[in-house]
Amino acid sequence: MYYRVLQGHGMKKYQLGEFEEVVLLTVGILDGDAYGVTIKDEIESRLKREVSVGALQITLRRLESKGHLKSKLGGTEKNRGGRPKLYFVLTAGGKRALLHTRNTRDELWSALPQLTFKLE
Amino acid sequence: MPGFPLKLLRWFCKPEYLPDIEGDLLQLYYRRTESLGRRRAHLLLIRDVLLLCRPGLVRSSDLLRRNKNLTAMLKHNLTLSFRSFARHKTTFVINVIGLSSGLMCVLLIGLWVKSELAVDQFHKQGSRLYQVMNNLQSQNTITLDITPVPLASALVAEFPEVERAVSTNNFFSWETRDGILSAGDVSIQATGWHAGPDFFKVFSFRLLQGDENRVLTDKNSIVISEAVARKLFSDSDNAIGKSIYWKHPLFEGTFLVSGVFETPPAASSAKFDFLISMEVLLDHDRWAAKWTGDYAQTFVLLKEGADVVQFDAKLKGFLKSKDPGLARFSLFSQPYLSRYLYGNYVNGVTSGGRIDNVRLFSVLALFILLIACINFINLSTAEGSLRMKEIGVKKTMGASQWLMVHRFFVESLVMTLISAVVAIVLVFLITPYMNDLVGRDLLSTIEPQHLIGLGGIVLLTAIIAGAYPAIHLSRFKPVAVLKGRLAESRGQWTFRRSLVVFQFALVVIFLVAIQVIHRQIEFTQTKDLGYNRYNIISFPWKGELYNMWNGLGEGKSNQNFESFMSRVRELPSVLHATNLLGNILEKIPSQSGITWNGLDSERDYEFQSPVVGFDFIETLGIEMREGRTFAKDRHDDYSKVILNESAVKLMGLRDPVGKKIDMNGGSEIVGVVRDFHYGSLHEAVQPLIFRCDPTGRTVMIKIRPGQEQKAIDEIQKVYATFLPGYTFDATFMDDDYLALYASETSMASLSQYLSVVAIIISCLGLFGLAAFAADRRMKEISIRKVFGSTPADVVRILSREFTVPVLIAIVIGLPISFFLAKEWLSGFAERIDLAWWYFVLAAIIALVVSWLAVALKTLKAARVSVLRGLREE
Repeated sequence: MYYRVLQGHGMKKYQLGEFEEVVLLTVGILDGDAYGVTIKDEIESRLKREVSVGALQITLRRLESKGHLKSKLGGTEKNRGGRPKLYFVLTAGGKRALLHTRNTRDELWSALPQLTFKLE
Repeated sequence: MPGFPLKLLRWFCKPEYLPDIEGDLLQLYYRRTESLGRRRAHLLLIRDVLLLCRPGLVRSSDLLRRNKNLTAMLKHNLTLSFRSFARHKTTFVINVIGLSSGLMCVLLIGLWVKSELAVDQFHKQGSRLYQVMNNLQSQNTITLDITPVPLASALVAEFPEVERAVSTNNFFSWETRDGILSAGDVSIQATGWHAGPDFFKVFSFRLLQGDENRVLTDKNSIVISEAVARKLFSDSDNAIGKSIYWKHPLFEGTFLVSGVFETPPAASSAKFDFLISMEVLLDHDRWAAKWTGDYAQTFVLLKEGADVVQFDAKLKGFLKSKDPGLARFSLFSQPYLSRYLYGNYVNGVTSGGRIDNVRLFSVLALFILLIACINFINLSTAEGSLRMKEIGVKKTMGASQWLMVHRFFVESLVMTLISAVVAIVLVFLITPYMNDLVGRDLLSTIEPQHLIGLGGIVLLTAIIAGAYPAIHLSRFKPVAVLKGRLAESRGQWTFRRSLVVFQFALVVIFLVAIQVIHRQIEFTQTKDLGYNRYNIISFPWKGELYNMWNGLGEGKSNQNFESFMSRVRELPSVLHATNLLGNILEKIPSQSGITWNGLDSERDYEFQSPVVGFDFIETLGIEMREGRTFAKDRHDDYSKVILNESAVKLMGLRDPVGKKIDMNGGSEIVGVVRDFHYGSLHEAVQPLIFRCDPTGRTVMIKIRPGQEQKAIDEIQKVYATFLPGYTFDATFMDDDYLALYASETSMASLSQYLSVVAIIISCLGLFGLAAFAADRRMKEISIRKVFGSTPADVVRILSREFTVPVLIAIVIGLPISFFLAKEWLSGFAERIDLAWWYFVLAAIIALVVSWLAVALKTLKAARVSVLRGLREE
């Protein structure tokens, strides 16, 4: 019983929402240059979907509190009104979570009968 | 840089997230300005900021975050409050006296209002419960609460919206309602109702024993109250089936107890000791079952969702459709829950009633509380100059305005709480006297509602009294106050003076009100009414009495009553004795359709027509103008009448004595009396015709002056031998006359108390203000004294400042009080004239009282040594 709870908890830790996964991957793609505006731009240009600052910020903070991301205050630019940038990088936990998501998805894909797609 | 959206963001966003979010937003904003233009960029920024308002990003609220500080700050502010009370003892005492007496007034009146509003509200089906009222068209429409007995069952049968209806009869209000209930050896005087079988289904009176379907179906059944059961039976829990004998002039007989109900609560406007089936009434009175006999009160329970307006429309012509002879009667429904408060009818429409007094007293109480709050506001803003340093230092150290508001609001709340405690103690001390006055127990149990009401009133007072000073004081600019510049603006001074104006305008109105009410009541007592009301007692004969008025066997001899009257007449302490139908001071029967020689046949006049026995005119000492009075040895009867002067004038008769008028058959005029005021002075004297019939139930006896007690004892003894078991309820006529003005006298004493409170509070306020003015102008006073001013000069200079607002108050208050007084007096047909000196007197009293209050303080200031005033520099 105890084991199951632990395992459940462990599993849950790796579970990501769709937008969370997108954000995590984008932070990985940007590789060290990931802060609010660049992440937003990257998602918008790659996925052709609009991202609001609010949705992005709250997801970043949630991922940080879960331990998937880690943040560091960086320098500023003139066009930021003197406010610092907050750079995000993936942690080991974040990478693991991404891998976990991908594996579970692959598992599901491989279990899918070929028939399903032939019919389309 | 865009200002507002970022300010908004800073207000709600967690501070630790703020810098980089702001950075992102700005970066986006500048980029958008280039590509989309400033305006669109601004709009998008606002949208972004609004979308950032999410639980994860919003900081926890100020109050929660500062929680730990809050208790410390509260403690600190409490300490400061108590210190400032200790330092300014005079102000403190003035405020506590003022606020606590204001609160006391509000609480006492609140208790009374609550008990008034609670009357009849205990009926569970109250919202659907209506009483059918009966409008009788004549010269004016008269609204009666009596209806035909068959109405109730007809309503149930013919109106689909009526769920149930019940008739009741309270043994006729013009007959004596008291009778004797006896079981075994025990006899008690009691009063009851006839009631239809659905009584307990329509009303929420609780049946303790018996079946609500069956208690009133049998003619031999009686349902008694718990109180009656206790008195009559030793084991009152098993009262059912026991037999009771009921003795009353209308009927008597043996009944079997079929049920016991909980004694009607004090909050019930209906009071009865027992119920007997309506069938019994129909049996002993042959008129009762007819549509033309108004013998019952009818109550209906409408179905859920029934349309009352439609019901009323159908009720209007209902009686006419049953009997064409009833065309002058039209029915309407009155909600049962409001019949107590809205019990007055003018021209067939409800027009207030007790609710008017409820409203009046509530407004008065609120005004008193307002005056007390104004004092507090006045004194605390005046005190502001003494607090400048505290406020300046605190603000310099970083205290926000909110903190200062908190600081002063705590002080006013503490003040209000202390006053509330004093007020509550006073309320508990005074309530017993109030209970006697209103005849109800106002504080029998302490309910949650009381506590909620108390809390609400205290909080409201604290807010009214505390809000303005707190905001005003907290607005002081630290630099200005620390430099010692007076933060007293002109507007401030005007504000404070206008509050004084308001207070004293109320004082003036109260002062005029006391005088006018007193003079008018005095006038009603001293005016020559045309008869002598002293040394007359009246009481009802509770024994059997047969006359054509109560529908009992006409022409039967009233041997018992007549021998009682002659026994009384023989008593040496008795001057005259007479009897009449009804009550000469209240409702006198009236009659129209009288004709006489020379009547303009188009018109129909209504005459007051009291039915009196022999010796009536002698007993009351009414002056005869012509002819003679009714006399037994002349065998006067119903065919003889005596007119008053107004009636003679209306009829235009010359030498009226001996002439005949037609009043249900020919009647001969045997005399004319001088006009006299039979009722209260609210009504003017109307044309009146005395008719002679010595079978009225009310006995009136003129006693030899100085022998009142002896006479009452003797008459009571005679009464007891004729009517064993009945109580002898004699009242003096002059008391009864005074009771006609009960609402005015209670208003007079109330306005007296309230104006005393108002004057005290207002003077306290003025006294406090004068104290501060004297404090502030200490240097000026000292310098004046150095140059030779006498203390009297100083007092005059200081008083001038307060005389002007009081004078303005007088100018405002007098016209208002004139208008109110005129309005009140218009309710009397005979009234005093408004003399100019009532108003002058009120003005002088207000002025003198204000001078005294100011002088008390300024005299002290004027005597202070010059050195003390100037020492500081």
